[in-house]
Amino acid sequence: MSDQRIFARYRANEIRAELQNGEMKKVKSGVTKKKNALRKIIANLTLGNYSEMLQLFPEVMRFWPIEDDIEVKRVCHEYIRTLGSIKPRSIIEALPFILRDLESRNERIQIMALSTLVSVPFNKFTDEAFDFIIKLAGKRTTSGNLLKNAIYSLVQLDDYDHERVMSLTSTLSEIVDHHLENPTIQIAALNALYQIHDRDAKAPPYHISVDTAFNLLELLPTLNEWDTSTLLEVLPITVVPQSHDDVYDMIDMILPHLQHVNSAVSLNALKMILYLLNYIDEVNETIIKRLSNSVVALLEKPAELQFLVLRNVILLLLSREQSLLKLDVPYFFIEYNDPIYIKDTKLECLYLLSNEETLPQILDELEEHATDIDIQMSRKAVRAIGNLAVKLGEKSAQKCVDILLHLLEFGVDYVIQEIISVFRNILRKYPTDFKRDIRTLVRYAEYAQETESRNAMIWIITQYSDILPDYLELFETFSQNVLNEAPEVQFSLLTSCVKFFVRSPSPATEKLCVQLLKECTEEAGNPDLRSRAYMYWRLLSVARENTNMVTPDMLKDIVDGELPIIELNTKLDPAVLEELELNIGSITSIYLKPTSQIFRMNTVKHLPRSRILDTDKGMLRVIPDSSSNENVSSSSKGRVSTSKKNGVHRAPTMSDFDKPAETVYKLKGERKSSSNSPSKLARKPSMLMRKLTLKKKF
Amino acid sequence: MISALLIYTPRGELVVSKFYKGSIKRSITDIFRVQVINSLDVRSPILTLGSTTFHYIRSPGGLWLVTVNRNNINSARVWELLYALGGMLAMYAIDNSDTIKEQFMLVYECLSLMLLETGVVCDTELPSIAKQMSVPPAKPELVSMQQEEAKKKKQGSLASKALPKFLQPVRMNSMTRSLSLSTGSSNSGGNSVIGKKNELVLYVNERINILVAKDSSILKSYVDGTIDLTSHLPPNVSCQFGLNDTQSYNSSGGYGSRIPRSAERTSTLPTSAAMAVDLQNCKFHQCVNLETYERDHVVSFTPPEGTVELMKYHVTEDINLPFKVSPIVTVVSSSASTTSAIDYRISLKSLFPSKLSATDVTLRIPVPPGTIDCKINTSNGSCRFIPEEHAMLWRFNKFQGSTENTLSAITVSSNDTTELVLQQWSRPPIALTFELLMFSNSGLSIRYFDVQQVRDGPRQRTAKWIKYVSKSGAYEIRY
Repeated sequence: MSDQRIFARYRANEIRAELQNGEMKKVKSGVTKKKNALRKIIANLTLGNYSEMLQLFPEVMRFWPIEDDIEVKRVCHEYIRTLGSIKPRSIIEALPFILRDLESRNERIQIMALSTLVSVPFNKFTDEAFDFIIKLAGKRTTSGNLLKNAIYSLVQLDDYDHERVMSLTSTLSEIVDHHLENPTIQIAALNALYQIHDRDAKAPPYHISVDTAFNLLELLPTLNEWDTSTLLEVLPITVVPQSHDDVYDMIDMILPHLQHVNSAVSLNALKMILYLLNYIDEVNETIIKRLSNSVVALLEKPAELQFLVLRNVILLLLSREQSLLKLDVPYFFIEYNDPIYIKDTKLECLYLLSNEETLPQILDELEEHATDIDIQMSRKAVRAIGNLAVKLGEKSAQKCVDILLHLLEFGVDYVIQEIISVFRNILRKYPTDFKRDIRTLVRYAEYAQETESRNAMIWIITQYSDILPDYLELFETFSQNVLNEAPEVQFSLLTSCVKFFVRSPSPATEKLCVQLLKECTEEAGNPDLRSRAYMYWRLLSVARENTNMVTPDMLKDIVDGELPIIELNTKLDPAVLEELELNIGSITSIYLKPTSQIFRMNTVKHLPRSRILDTDKGMLRVIPDSSSNENVSSSSKGRVSTSKKNGVHRAPTMSDFDKPAETVYKLKGERKSSSNSPSKLARKPSMLMRKLTLKKKF
Repeated sequence: MISALLIYTPRGELVVSKFYKGSIKRSITDIFRVQVINSLDVRSPILTLGSTTFHYIRSPGGLWLVTVNRNNINSARVWELLYALGGMLAMYAIDNSDTIKEQFMLVYECLSLMLLETGVVCDTELPSIAKQMSVPPAKPELVSMQQEEAKKKKQGSLASKALPKFLQPVRMNSMTRSLSLSTGSSNSGGNSVIGKKNELVLYVNERINILVAKDSSILKSYVDGTIDLTSHLPPNVSCQFGLNDTQSYNSSGGYGSRIPRSAERTSTLPTSAAMAVDLQNCKFHQCVNLETYERDHVVSFTPPEGTVELMKYHVTEDINLPFKVSPIVTVVSSSASTTSAIDYRISLKSLFPSKLSATDVTLRIPVPPGTIDCKINTSNGSCRFIPEEHAMLWRFNKFQGSTENTLSAITVSSNDTTELVLQQWSRPPIALTFELLMFSNSGLSIRYFDVQQVRDGPRQRTAKWIKYVSKSGAYEIRY
């Protein structure tokens, strides 16, 4: 019986037979058989075999009275819970059993019973649950675990019956304030209140007074790691500091927890400190250093947590003018074994961290990755190089462009296409600087296959037609097949040909223009394209006939006007930023989108008003810590310091560490193939040979 | 609070499903299977569809551990929980689809201990949960977990989906001085004391990560260390130790004030060029008194029974590099045949003192795709070409300190590999792995280690051991 697989779909009859079988035989093996059968029931529930299992209801009920075997009880409750959420009415007979369990002496059973009551969405069940909880809250001698479960069950009941739960909130607040010997319960009550208020969009957000907050913070050293993280998560917004001293005191209490190994605790501590920083106007540099150190230490966790921390880091980097974190660029260098999402995110961080000093290092890294095997990575790297050129000033742009040209020779098609697209942005920002490179670029015109790069190529040819003598032929390679192109490319072809004509009206350009306009108006399927072509045609005809209405200058202005300077806007909207800062560590901080876009049911968080609220984030002054500087200099006497922070120093090399080896083994012999061919040509002489050469007889 | 927790086998069969909210439909399980397990190009460990979010990790055996929730939960908590759960599964040796199908009820039991029935995490300390479970775990020791993981890595970690770098198993702590709500087991450490010797072992495990560029300049180098503690001591005995970090020097004014009588000096350990190590960021376990550390830079704690990861730290400056790799890799075109090949000339030199020796030293040298064979000549150690991994593996069982070895090899490529392909080959870096005992990469050493005497017990000798292990993390050299 035990070899039979547990995880298979069974019919009710089979299991029923098994259970009966178990009863008839001897006690010991009977028990195992029954347990196996029960396990099969659970497995079938997991597999989704509900209808069959429903028929086994009476059998399961018979097992209910067994009090001493937790596993059996667990099976019974699990059964009820699963089927209860699907077909509540059929389970109603189990209600008295469950109620009896609630009165049981074994606490675990009580907890199971309570949660079963709560998970069945049926009035009778939930009413009983409410009654029980109210009774429980009244008694003072309830055990910790049970009370905790009861408190959290209230949050679940909130889904069903909001008003009743709201009436119990006063009891919960009492618990929060009351100094119990068991602080975990206080935290549980706090959390429950927070969640109940959070869900209710109409109720104001939950508030606690500063004193209560201080009391709770004093409990911090005694709490379990999860309770610590809960407390730190709930505190922002709920407590509004009213004076600067409050803020400084709170920060001091929270600061040691930045060093907790559980990333939930340290990220929540970070969030709380950031929230508090909004209420003061100057902060000591040591705090900044500790924040940065804590973030860096978190990067050593497994990949998913690293991913979370990196996304939050991006957040912090985007936010303030004077960024709050001092991070070294090398931490974001990509390692070969990182999973793909980490590599992507590190690239973004590198891009945001770049400034004049760090540019050479970052450019080298990006260049390495532009030749990476993964297509998306290398495209991102190339795009980052291009965006860096636009973001930073002219000198940097020159370096970026050099790298891009070097990469062009590499010859890989998607890289070239990406380079073309990115070059367009660069040329828009610095229209006159890189003219000589355009000829080189144009040689790669036939590589441009994708929409964006074709668009970019066409724009470049059009804009710089004055330095390209054969621009018309180049253009014709694109315009030959205008009807088969993507819509954006079609539009830009149209615009370009009109521009050509307007700039230099000649038979060649006129012919091109007319031909293109004809194709677009007569044969194109896209109505937008057609109407635009018609518009251009009208414009040109009016210009020709009636030069008073539309002068050549006007025409030039319309078609070929000045382009504004391009600006890459990577900063987030400040309101969104404020909200995301209050949500560090949560799911929305990974996606960097406002909560309302992802979770419609959650309330949006804002910084609560207070007389000391500092609305202008840029005003946060950082007091440099003079004392720490002295220490650093005194301890570095006599030390070989290889500081990598200062960009002026050269980076340390391996030869700095080199010591001559005492024993050097040289290469011996020839290169041998190490393949798995078993042919060993240089074999030892066979035994036969040896025996033949022996002088003695054997 | 999470709404549901699911565990799937590597192939995608649902084995454990625990729903904490009645409002979640059961069809969620199918959605996950379709969207993640069976899809080829997944680029993120989190997936949000509508307002339902899945967070997932994979255990070293390939099991999918997934949580589902519909509100804006704190992702750090979720992932920490998943890793703790994974550690729990590893302790019970539940790692592939057969074992989990047999023992799924254990998982339900463990979940009911770790999380409240409402989906809120209450306790993930592995030894305490192990004590409360009805079945004792198969592998309760920390050491065997690491070995098992290292074994799995050696057996070809070619899995295309990323495995966690090292499963942090070890929030293996249990009782803290705090009031843990686990049903009454906070004093169960008492029963094992009498008759057993008192022993405390501190393992200083370090992993060194460096990245060296083509011109042999060091792009980044740092050491991650953890200090693990295995203790067999009576409960509520407090210990402390001090490290040679710069901050403690500054605050206590040098060596003088703080050393108690039973000091243990590790003078034979080679330290870094500076006498002190700049410990910039360290993270402590729950049982360490953080306030004492803030004030005096002394790590004071009450060790719980069993194995605990006490502290994690991170050092970036003044690191002792144990190995120097000098690669010279060129593309040669042989005039005899039309194909080209890559010529490697790599020398590996150890920079640590000659009385130490490193074990399990492996240098992984990538070769371009399209290579059918390599002709290899080494001065020591054994080197083999592994076609499936596109690499040559140069292995030494034991690598003595202050020694240099050289490798010379040339690849034999298939006929359609031209010189252009070889030049365009994006060169994955050379990676080195090793393990080195009694050598501290960062120069960190434990200055003293003191155990307070039990107040009214007989004077017991406590055996204290300190063991330093340095391993390679990501030791990569570009060429």
